[in-house]
Amino acid sequence: MNRFLSLILASLAMQNNSFAAEAGMPQLDPTYWASQAFWLILVFTILYISIAKFYLPKIKNNLDNRENRIKDDLDDANKFNELSELKLKEYEKIMEDAKKKVIKIHVESKDALDKDIQNKKETIEKEIEKEILKAQKEISDLKKNSISDIQKISENITSNIIETISGDKLNESSIKAAVEDISKKNLGKYL
Amino acid sequence: MASNPMQQFSVHKIGPEIKIAGIDLSFTNASLFMVISASIILLFLFLGTKEKKIVPDKIQLIAEMFYTFVAKMISDTAGSKAKPYFPFIFSLFMFVLFCNMVGMLPYSFTVTSHIIVTLIMALFIFIAVTIIGFAKHGFKYLSIFVPTGVPAVLLPLITVIEIISYLSRPVSLSVRLFANMMAGHTMLKVFGGFVISLGLLGGWLPLGFSVALTGLEILVAFLQAYVFAILTCIYLNDALNLHH
Repeated sequence: MNRFLSLILASLAMQNNSFAAEAGMPQLDPTYWASQAFWLILVFTILYISIAKFYLPKIKNNLDNRENRIKDDLDDANKFNELSELKLKEYEKIMEDAKKKVIKIHVESKDALDKDIQNKKETIEKEIEKEILKAQKEISDLKKNSISDIQKISENITSNIIETISGDKLNESSIKAAVEDISKKNLGKYL
Repeated sequence: MASNPMQQFSVHKIGPEIKIAGIDLSFTNASLFMVISASIILLFLFLGTKEKKIVPDKIQLIAEMFYTFVAKMISDTAGSKAKPYFPFIFSLFMFVLFCNMVGMLPYSFTVTSHIIVTLIMALFIFIAVTIIGFAKHGFKYLSIFVPTGVPAVLLPLITVIEIISYLSRPVSLSVRLFANMMAGHTMLKVFGGFVISLGLLGGWLPLGFSVALTGLEILVAFLQAYVFAILTCIYLNDALNLHH
């Protein structure tokens, strides 16, 4: 501890000695004031001129360039954005037109098909009717023919039966009358 | 020699004696460090503006940051009218900053720790601002000493105070920078001296202080350059935009 204190005291004493020797702060010694002022003005003037005339315009130029570049890029981006929006609108319009066209074509073709179907249906129905009529006529003709045939066959069968049973030949006209009489009674069931 | 904390501020001649009209203008260590600081600024700006890249590299970015920092400081405090003085404020800020920072290097000399240097800069600013004020506003510039909205009874007193405060601007501006730099460097030297004198046993505490103080002094070096520049801007603002 003693050593510590004595060291501080010694150093303080030395400082005091040098203070005395140099009359305190070197800053207050006017020997080199003029020199410092002269060199300060000289150095600072050179520094100022080279900064003001050379470096600051360069930095400013570069900063402006960057700002302009960013502005230009943003402008470009906006322009492209507008363009793409325009294109999108165009595309939407085309799509809408196409949709309308599709609906129109759909309706038209549907109408045409409906008409066609209707026409074909009508002609087919007419043909079917014709065919039915024809068939009905044929059927009725056949029926009529078949009735007279049946009568003849019945007369033959009757005369044959009577001949076989009695051995006599009957009057043809009376057989015919009897067959006609019976067939008239029963014909209604089949016609 | 090493134990005298004021030794670091002494100025001595380097090279031959230069005498013009009986005045000693010899090149000294102070002059040498002025030249070194200015050279570092110019080299830094040269490297910072060598390549004009849209996407800047590190040194270009730092140069541009200094530019925008000072530009913002001026436009914030003195408005757009101060634009013509931008190169001066920029040079002043850079010079003070680099002198302070170069002074932080061991065995170097701190130019701004000399009252004559800071006083010349402050006086130049004071005289220039006064000239600008009178050139812009004529005798109306004297209204800077008469604040508006002060009761008539107090007006003579306030005016005297305003005049004194205006005239003390160069003194406060120069002494602030000089005293800060000198005090900081003296303190560093004193603690450095303690490290040596207390040796291995007791030197660790002052060494820690020394390290902490070095950090503080770097902050002070920047801060004082900033304060010097911003006060110049404020004085300029008073001269350009007369509203009190």
